Amino acid sequence: MSDDVTSERISGYIRERFLNGDKKGELEETTPLLEWGVLNSMNTALLLMFIRDELGVVIPPTKINAGNFQDVKSITAMVTDLARQDQATIAAGTE
Amino acid sequence: MEFGFTAAQQQRYDAILCASREKLGRAGTEGAGSYFTRQQWKAAAEIGLTGLCLPEEHGGGGLSALDTALSLEAFQRGCRDAGLVFSVSAHLLACGVPIRDFAAGEVRQDFLRGMADGSLVAANAMTEDDAGSDVGNLAVTARSEDGAYVLDGEKSFSSNAPAADVIVTYAVTNPRAGFLGVTAFAVPRDLSGIQVGEPFRKMGLDSCPAARVTFRDCRVPARYCLGEEGQGGAVFQHSMGWERACLFAGYVGLMEHQLERCIEHAKQRKQFGSPLGSFQAISHRIAVMKQRLESARLLLYRGCWLMDQGRDYTEAVALAKVAVSEAAIANSTDAVQIFGGAGYLAQTGVEQHLRDSVPSAIFSGTNEIQRELIAREAGL
Repeated sequence: MSDDVTSERISGYIRERFLNGDKKGELEETTPLLEWGVLNSMNTALLLMFIRDELGVVIPPTKINAGNFQDVKSITAMVTDLARQDQATIAAGTE
Repeated sequence: MEFGFTAAQQQRYDAILCASREKLGRAGTEGAGSYFTRQQWKAAAEIGLTGLCLPEEHGGGGLSALDTALSLEAFQRGCRDAGLVFSVSAHLLACGVPIRDFAAGEVRQDFLRGMADGSLVAANAMTEDDAGSDVGNLAVTARSEDGAYVLDGEKSFSSNAPAADVIVTYAVTNPRAGFLGVTAFAVPRDLSGIQVGEPFRKMGLDSCPAARVTFRDCRVPARYCLGEEGQGGAVFQHSMGWERACLFAGYVGLMEHQLERCIEHAKQRKQFGSPLGSFQAISHRIAVMKQRLESARLLLYRGCWLMDQGRDYTEAVALAKVAVSEAAIANSTDAVQIFGGAGYLAQTGVEQHLRDSVPSAIFSGTNEIQRELIAREAGL
């Protein structure tokens, strides 16, 4: 899955679940999600479930920090990075 | 699938039940306004209860979540004092677990050894006047300053605080980062700048003292941080997972003891020339109590088992928390009714179970929050 697709799926989920559809189109890649209260503890738990179930990436507790959840851009970068690591591990296991 | 105890689990359960009855069976009979004593705390420690899931190298039992739960169940079944069981559980699960898993070096070693051997009492201070389950809205702050954090603000309800030597607490270190701007600390009570209020008068759990905790320019060396800066939300959720799973096993033990008393009473007490239990209104009430207890027990054991397997336990533990707490309240109400006028009297200890059960639907994350988690796990 490309970065753009990952970013769009995460943005789409946040718009639908936490921003009531974001009809004014305010959510951008760099919207500060924590500072604006879009990601509280409950919503972050939901987002983690979405990423696990829909994108197939399990985010370890050590990665749950303000830097990685600052905005859609940082979340996408973390998810993409973890997905690449997972693929590398699978590939190494088949060699 | 295996539903029975292993031989080791049965042996530990029986030993704790026996020791709890023998050494702490009379605890809690002093009435409201009496809190647990250091002697009782030491007795609990000698049975191994203050260190059940703490590491063996620090004097703990090194037990899994399931074995910790079974031990707390046996403790409460043998000891009528739910306040003492709650205090030990909060000390162990809301404080010992985060120190075990997130404290570093000597701090971890020193605290855990003292907590396991009963020389230290730990208190958890999270709740604030305007922040209960919402970790992202804390008002207590911690500013970084020369290798330390300076804590300021007030925690509104801290179980064990008036007796505590260590306070596990949470404060905002980055106000722009919401709940990911919260940091956890294990704070020695004797640091300057900590004030603990008078114990609250409460509905139940009488022997567990709870009070406000105020931090004023309280300088906490950085070595007392639990985890990294900003990890406090995760530290708290982790400890609450253990608390929701294991602490509620105490209520399973309470219901077990209560049911034994109700059955005994229904056999002994006669009305219209027949034992109470011969009347279907009573026997069916007892059957329903049994059904609530056993179904709640299964959910709780399963939640603990999932934790021990390293699998996702959020939903299972939330289901168990709701089931156990609501079963305890309903069964306690039924027990009062079965005992009739005697159940209403404080001296029989029957009404005490009801007062001790009511808060179980509130602490460790309200049942409303648990249902929210369950619904969202279901995709709603």
